Amino acid sequence: MLAPALRSTFRGIRHNSSYPVHQFAELARRPSSLHQIYTSLSTDPYVNLSIEHFLLQNTPDQSSVLFLYANRPCVVIGRNQNPWLETDLRALHNDRNGAPEEEAVFVRRRSGGGAVFHDEGNLNYSVISPRTSFTRDKHAEMVVRALHGVGATNTSVNERHDIVMARNESDDPDEPLTRKVSGSAFKLTRHRALHHGTCLLDSPNIHDLGKYLRSSARGYIQAKGVESVRSPVGNVSASLADSFFSMQGVVGGIIEQFARLYGVNPDAVLRAQRAHANEPEVFAGDSWVAGTVSEVQGEQEPDIAKGIAELRSLEWKYTQTPRFTFSTYPIEEDPRERPPLPASLPSSTRAFLRLQHGAVVESHISISSDDSTAVEEASRVHAVLNGQKLHEMTLARWSEILKQGLGGRDVDDTVVKELARFLGGLLGG
Amino acid sequence: MSSVARAIRPFASRVLAQKPIAPICQASPAFRFPRGTRSFSQSPLAKIGITDYAAQSLGDVVYVELPEEGLDVAAGEPVGAVESVKSASDVLSPVAGKVIGGNSLLEDKAKTINESPEGEGWIAEIEVADAAELDALLDEAAYKQTIDA
Repeated sequence: MLAPALRSTFRGIRHNSSYPVHQFAELARRPSSLHQIYTSLSTDPYVNLSIEHFLLQNTPDQSSVLFLYANRPCVVIGRNQNPWLETDLRALHNDRNGAPEEEAVFVRRRSGGGAVFHDEGNLNYSVISPRTSFTRDKHAEMVVRALHGVGATNTSVNERHDIVMARNESDDPDEPLTRKVSGSAFKLTRHRALHHGTCLLDSPNIHDLGKYLRSSARGYIQAKGVESVRSPVGNVSASLADSFFSMQGVVGGIIEQFARLYGVNPDAVLRAQRAHANEPEVFAGDSWVAGTVSEVQGEQEPDIAKGIAELRSLEWKYTQTPRFTFSTYPIEEDPRERPPLPASLPSSTRAFLRLQHGAVVESHISISSDDSTAVEEASRVHAVLNGQKLHEMTLARWSEILKQGLGGRDVDDTVVKELARFLGGLLGG
Repeated sequence: MSSVARAIRPFASRVLAQKPIAPICQASPAFRFPRGTRSFSQSPLAKIGITDYAAQSLGDVVYVELPEEGLDVAAGEPVGAVESVKSASDVLSPVAGKVIGGNSLLEDKAKTINESPEGEGWIAEIEVADAAELDALLDEAAYKQTIDA
């Protein structure tokens, strides 16, 4: 094996040269880089989604790019979704209270679709290709061929462009006919189509990942935008008796199927297949680039750094939310019957919020059973609540605002505190 | 009277998968003059939307992101976005200008885009910076040729 310094002197002579990692961005943008295959060494969802977005925006219009990565535990919602409705924000509030991000983090992606849970046992595949030849099933079918290759022959693409795994004959009859193992989402730009999908290979959280995707405020919220479609999920590994099943085997299979689909140079495939070293390494031939990427790219390439900052920002995560209402009583636009109020609150208690860009634009919060008193209470509360961003409403902030609006007069302090706890609890405060 | 410009989003859906899509470079913005409106005031207004063809190939639109009033857009830049069948697609303005407003009808009825993409389902109205840019856009017949090619 040649030393890196020596190897680089061969550049231009060999078709298979190693490049310094900082040339990743340059190689990705190079007009002749028609086939690109990368795997990520990072498990940071913000980094991976931003490298992916960089590839969508910067690779040549006619190129086809495969990017594979796994994230540490996180809940990822679609571009036009509502986190108060789709996730348990109380389990995900480390982005707002400064707590370490050891638990799952909440992420809003740039593509459409619904909410999903990711962890290290979930492989994300992403294909960026010319829009002209793109179909929504093309790459899901590519992944199915790879899954068949490792023995999961009971997998197929369904009408929602998801990959499902059929029940085995020997399974419990109560088992659903199919379980979803992979969900897809897409982002289309002028010339390019991005298809990214999850693939639950061997998630250790498979039995309780639903807990992050359940909001206690669901019965109170009516939202514009996109609602998730719930499906029973399963691990691909569950249907395989073969103890040799490995994430790496599936990664290899997907690379191979991608290479077949797009006629990728065998040298590129070889480099991509070997790219599971622990160090970032980029190789390139005349028409291809293959290798590993990581946080380093985020530090070196300003466009990626910008993408990471944007995805991390609370504005993107929360104020991008489409309009919605929250109401503890039936309203014209959401006449559903509501869950009963906590026993600690008077039954006359009413709480209604209308939110735009994640901020309160209209509200009615009152406790009194007397109509005119209730209207007065509500207008006092609204005077302080109006314009507040919901993601900034901590329990303490709720208490403070409700105290300002309701406190003092005939309202018991403990009732105000209870109401703050009730609303803060439902809305992730 | 405003003229109607459209950004085209060609895209192969499941249904259209068998049919190759026209080369993208030709299927760039299309534009149609309503009858008898060839004379413009100094700053012509244009409505941006997607074509029938694009609406059909995108599938059911479930959400529309409208632009903020006053936003300056360059030709080829996003003036909104639509989501359909898990796909977020930018809607690009075919001409440069300033956004007068978005079509608030779409906030409640995103599906209007599928029902009437070239009419009620317009997405943004902009004050066109340079009227000459409108002349450079495809007319309906020329656009049809690009998708039938």
